[in-house]
Amino acid sequence: MDFYFGLVQLVGVHTLLGLSAYIVLLTGQVTLAQAGFFAIGAYVAGMLTVLAGWHLVPALGVSALAGAITACAVGFPALRVKGLMLVIATLAFGEGVRLFFFNFDYQIAKGEIKLGPVGGEGFRQIRFFPENGWSTFEVMLFIWAFVVAIMALLWWFDRSRYGAVLRAVGEDEAAAQSVGINLTAVKVSAMTVGGAIAGIGGGLYAHYTTHIEHSSFNVLVATFAIAYPIVGGLSSVFGTLLAVVFVQALLVEGLRDLGDWRNLLFGALIVLAMNLRPRGFLDPQALGSLKRLFGGDRSA
Amino acid sequence: MLDLLQAVMDGVLFGATYALIGIGFTLVFGVMHKINMAYAAASIGGAYGGLLILKVMAAPAWVVFLCAFAAGGVLGYAVYVTCFHFIPLSSPLATLMSTVGMLLLIDEIIVHVTAGMPQNYPALFDDVMWRAGEFSLRGDLLLVFGVSVLCMIGLLALLYRTKLGLATRAVSQQAVAAQLCGIRVGRVNAMTFVIAGLLGGIAGALIGASVGMLSPLLTTPLTVKGLIVTVIGGLGSIPGAIIAGLLVGGFENVLQLYRGVAERDLYVMLLLFVFLVFRPGGLFTPRGARD
Repeated sequence: MDFYFGLVQLVGVHTLLGLSAYIVLLTGQVTLAQAGFFAIGAYVAGMLTVLAGWHLVPALGVSALAGAITACAVGFPALRVKGLMLVIATLAFGEGVRLFFFNFDYQIAKGEIKLGPVGGEGFRQIRFFPENGWSTFEVMLFIWAFVVAIMALLWWFDRSRYGAVLRAVGEDEAAAQSVGINLTAVKVSAMTVGGAIAGIGGGLYAHYTTHIEHSSFNVLVATFAIAYPIVGGLSSVFGTLLAVVFVQALLVEGLRDLGDWRNLLFGALIVLAMNLRPRGFLDPQALGSLKRLFGGDRSA
Repeated sequence: MLDLLQAVMDGVLFGATYALIGIGFTLVFGVMHKINMAYAAASIGGAYGGLLILKVMAAPAWVVFLCAFAAGGVLGYAVYVTCFHFIPLSSPLATLMSTVGMLLLIDEIIVHVTAGMPQNYPALFDDVMWRAGEFSLRGDLLLVFGVSVLCMIGLLALLYRTKLGLATRAVSQQAVAAQLCGIRVGRVNAMTFVIAGLLGGIAGALIGASVGMLSPLLTTPLTVKGLIVTVIGGLGSIPGAIIAGLLVGGFENVLQLYRGVAERDLYVMLLLFVFLVFRPGGLFTPRGARD
């Protein structure tokens, strides 16, 4: 049973990663930096609980703040340029963060052992959960509490004016600007929220895996981050969740027998999914049909 | 001082390969206004493809390069068909994502076929060293530079002296108007990918030859640096990509001299951010670049 709890934990953390990219993708900007904010959140939360002895919840708060501040700082120069430049700038930023942590050493001796991140070796012994006696089930609930809260927040955004503004910027920047929307403010705010979500996700990731290193935050993770919302469809938050479940459950469980070939199939599946359903699993038509199915007889 | 000059020279010579990769990215962007994230992977894949000929017979290095050239073109066409041909152009996210999928796929195929082991790459003139006082010029780097320059001249000749080049430039400026003039946009797009692929295959082969071995781990840094070169040069501008490639190559080597390999790439990213802040259009913003 613990194995399935672990799988659900993984799905939860990856959903947070996907959601952090989702809100930025709503504004039409493709960001490959979410893995970078994820990494920053992970290292910050890890260092606070291990080296400074903080409780996890305030540590997560600080990692969300760290993610948000970094995202805001990255967003300003990168968003002054066209959308496709953002892809490249964020890719470079993500790789830069990874390289930074590759070179980052900060160790404190506690008793006999030295704790803290060590460059290439990474950050071991992030043992908040085991040290405080959390069971796998409790960790799963903790992670999902955050996931549900953030999904609710994003769903509420979608139904509020902010969500309409985000999608307006995503659909047609010229039209949005002509209505008086400040493009840069909207895009940077979306990046900041995305950075905060990624920071929380990273903090949770660090604690549930207990060991993080620079290679856990590579381009592949950044790709997963944008793959989830794109493959799931940008019309609804649930699309991202669906995509995470599909990818992780299918790749981890369903293709287990294929062993090494799983990674190959992931790339092929993405290509196939994009050719067959360019707007994602839950594209506007699918969402419309689902609403009609569950919402009774309302005119489309 | 002498070390610095030596580093700059070596870096600029090697930077010619970055220039080729940058040209490939910028060519696709100029014509289709989309980024092909799988390009560097296809280049490395093309280089591996060049190695296939060695399985059949013992061939001299230049034959391997020729095969890499051809393999790159084939891979370029494959990327076009899987990522761009069927997906409607109104879904830019879908094409981007599928090129990322192809990047992962090509990477994994390489890892599977070679069982993850780096492969030795044949080199030409690697034992030649020209000395001029304190400086030495590596023969193989000179070859890299020379072949890259030849490829660039060939490309520019293609673009400005042939009908295909004319059609390509027309499609990159105004696709609809080009179609109205009778140009088959689909064919032009496919040929753009093939040409970019040919350049990429040669670039991959040259990188393999100068480093001495090929490894799938080269894909990510090459993608990032290729994209950085494209942005610094100006998206869509070929002369920009050439100059930016040489610039990045030299800059990277100089920083490797002073700060070591581990931190070198960080500074290349910083260079990108400096350009993004102060000159977002790149070195040469192409005329008529909209949005």
